[in-house]
Amino acid sequence: MELRTLKVVKDTQIQYSSKELLFLAQSGQPYRGTLYINFLSKGTTINLIDLKKYITSLRSKVLNSENIAYEIYEKINTSITTNNLGVIVDLSARGGIQQRVSYGKDFQTVLKPNIFQV
Amino acid sequence: MSSYSKKRSAELESLGSDKTKYEYRYNPKLLETFENIHQENDYWVTLNADEFTSLCPKTNQPDFGTLIINYIPNIKMVESKSLKLYLFSFINNGEFHEDVVNKIGKDLVKLMQPKYLEVVGLFYPRGNISIHPTFSYSNDQDKYKEIEKHRFINRNINPQRIG
Repeated sequence: MELRTLKVVKDTQIQYSSKELLFLAQSGQPYRGTLYINFLSKGTTINLIDLKKYITSLRSKVLNSENIAYEIYEKINTSITTNNLGVIVDLSARGGIQQRVSYGKDFQTVLKPNIFQV
Repeated sequence: MSSYSKKRSAELESLGSDKTKYEYRYNPKLLETFENIHQENDYWVTLNADEFTSLCPKTNQPDFGTLIINYIPNIKMVESKSLKLYLFSFINNGEFHEDVVNKIGKDLVKLMQPKYLEVVGLFYPRGNISIHPTFSYSNDQDKYKEIEKHRFINRNINPQRIG
């Protein structure tokens, strides 16, 4: 699916996060994670509705958990041109092991407690 | 293998299976039980499921939430791996939060016939509103009826955010 773009002021630092990432592991077990996307805009960003739909589309996709950050990175990278694009995914623990996978430029993740949401 | 291990192994199918099959359509038959060997004691069991997900029946948009299951076992107890598989089977199920919580509560009551059971759903906000339904059940004994009544009346007695 296509990620439509929106114009944004150049050099705007943008970070998206979602606690609602879900895809299927190779075993078929649903895998939950928190997604962070970070970049410095070159004048465009992604339409948020399309980003939501893209994240939702991963629910039925079978992926190697280590490749999930790359999968999302590639999708964004082919849709918009950015500076320092980075994707980090914190996966829910499996077998007692917590996994964080990242691709692209490293960055500090910020998941602010949203005062308007539980 | 100890006699205890043998007993527990004989009771359960999915736990320890090499070929776990994940079902993506609601299936209460996935649930399994094992025997409560401490029936002389009343004790609480809490099961937290932070990865619960289902769909909106109207828009098909995904919903997420944490389910908290508290119960006082009688003879049968739900096995946690089978519960995991059962909860994952809601992944493509379109139901309102209130219906999901009641459905799970009723399935667990039917499965275990517990002394007391409650299911709390803490769903992520949609359209600015998060929904937190609670299902509760007690058997016919006065003690557990009293517990149900007490918890029902006192839930969220001072309006506040739950979870």
